[in-house]
Amino acid sequence: MASLTIGRYVPYNSFIHKMDPRAKLFALIVLMVAIFLPYPTYVMSFTIQGVIFLFGVFLLWRSHVSFFRVLKSLAALWIMVIFILIIYVLVPRTTNYPAFDINGFVIYWDSILEAARILLRLVLMIVLSMVLTSSTKPLDLTAALEWYLYPLKLIGFPSHIVAMIISLALRFIPTILDDVERIMKAQSSRGVDFENGHLGTKIKAIVSLIIPLFVSSFIRSDELANAMECRGYDPNAKRTRYRKLHFRAVDFVETFVVLAIFAGCLTLSIMQLDAYNAIWGITTL
Amino acid sequence: MSVKFSKVFFTYSPKSPFEYEALRDINLDLESGKFIALVGKTGSGKSTLVQHINSLIHPTSGTIDIDGFINSSVKKERTKDIKGLRKHVGLVFQFPEYQLFEETVERDVAFGPKNVGMKEAEAIEKAHWALEKVGLGKSFFERSPFELSGGEKRKVAIAGILAMEPKILVVDEPTAGLDPAAAKDTMSLFKKINEEGTTVILVTHDMDLVASYCDEVVVMENGKVEAQCSPSKLFGRDLSEYSLQNPHIFDFALRLKKRGIDLDMSSIRTTEDLAKAIAKRCKHG
Ligand SMILES: Nc1ncnc2c1ncn2[C@@H]1O[C@H](COP(=O)(O)OP(=O)(O)OP(=O)(O)O)[C@@H](O)[C@H]1O
Ligand SMILES: [Mg+2]
Repeated sequence: MASLTIGRYVPYNSFIHKMDPRAKLFALIVLMVAIFLPYPTYVMSFTIQGVIFLFGVFLLWRSHVSFFRVLKSLAALWIMVIFILIIYVLVPRTTNYPAFDINGFVIYWDSILEAARILLRLVLMIVLSMVLTSSTKPLDLTAALEWYLYPLKLIGFPSHIVAMIISLALRFIPTILDDVERIMKAQSSRGVDFENGHLGTKIKAIVSLIIPLFVSSFIRSDELANAMECRGYDPNAKRTRYRKLHFRAVDFVETFVVLAIFAGCLTLSIMQLDAYNAIWGITTL
Repeated sequence: MSVKFSKVFFTYSPKSPFEYEALRDINLDLESGKFIALVGKTGSGKSTLVQHINSLIHPTSGTIDIDGFINSSVKKERTKDIKGLRKHVGLVFQFPEYQLFEETVERDVAFGPKNVGMKEAEAIEKAHWALEKVGLGKSFFERSPFELSGGEKRKVAIAGILAMEPKILVVDEPTAGLDPAAAKDTMSLFKKINEEGTTVILVTHDMDLVASYCDEVVVMENGKVEAQCSPSKLFGRDLSEYSLQNPHIFDFALRLKKRGIDLDMSSIRTTEDLAKAIAKRCKHG
């Protein structure tokens, strides 16, 4: 069960929790881009990923997310991880640094490094988005999203409706997770084993979970729609908000730090600068 | 043979801001063959307690011995035969109507028996038997469980557990939301099952049910067991400290006592019993 609750908002009182959601969302996007920029050598990208990773670990620590949860969510993605490893390691590369030679089938160093790079990206993405989602209330997150989408209103994009849909979806994630837990318990007491068993029984177990989940979600959304209409919800009306977003000094500092990291990464990427070669004259992979 | 809780503690979401200690030092011996009521105000931990009997949740510390099946905080000590336990203990949840998922009522009821190893034909036969028992006749067998009323769904869910023929039947507020006649039928059914040798553990808020059907009552308050005794012993005294209300007949008897008419309540369970006792008293002056 715990694997499903990863990334759920956890109320603590850290400075990261108190930061403006717009600043946090911006930081997430910018850092993600920095992770995905192309860098000249593997060692360079590992260095940059390492720096961002340390920054991410610092944020995790400050926002009271244990690194154990990151590992757990990575474990939940194990099929994807194995696929990435297999595909990248087995596909031959162009450069000539063979690592192993298994009966004539050569695995090259840069295949292994490429796989490592992709995996590190995955870990970084999880770390950064976990910091955001576990330190920001879903409603604040949508408020931020709506703020960013606001300019699109000028070209007729219904950003407030989209924001409402997103906030409803986010609002119901914990509720649905509770449903999952409740239904799993109810079916377990009818002898369903969700952990063991061969494929056939496993499929049956999942069906016994999914169908009641759909039924209760449909009932719930129906009730919600009615309740909103009863209270006079009009999707096109202008909405005011109870909580205003405030951009404060700490948000400026954070945005500045993130932009500085980004600028550094962008420069290295655009100039294809190999810092190791330029400073110490070492050539690396 | 009994269900024995020794020094059981349980905490929801330990080591997180949602941490909540729902059970504290539970020591309890529930004898086989009895009809036992579990009462206490909302949030006192009744549902949490009964889920331990089915090993759906494990204690944070302490052990529970369920007729030889062990549920413990230590993983190694827990029973390996979890299916055997689920067959031995049938747990009907507080809102069991959310667990239905099959196309027809009979198949949904047969789902549990099939999971614990019964053959298809035998399971369907058991399903028919259980459905008849809860008062859903042939006309219901082929219907979709989703087009039934709330009370009928509840009955299907109860049948789904009965069909597994548990030795211990745990029912969590089975009568909430049923009309008085259906509630009475359901209770008589449990009584009959109990007389045939099944232990019944009933979680309820309705003291009248406790007075008329149960041999023993366990009172919970704030995650602790406050009392375990016979209903007549409990209802003889002031119950406001547990925020419970005396059953109507005991309330009536208490008021009679204040006016100097002292009845022996130890064998009185229903309104009829009380009426008879009063009549007898009148005759004898
Ligand atoms: N999944 C959960 N996570 C955290 N706390 C929980 C969870 N489930 C129950 N609790 C808390 O544990 C306490 C006991 O809950 P429980 O459901 O056992 O009460 P109950 O006695 O069955 O109440 P009711 O009569 O309303 O059914 C409650 O205070 C509840 O808030
Ligand atoms: Mg309950």
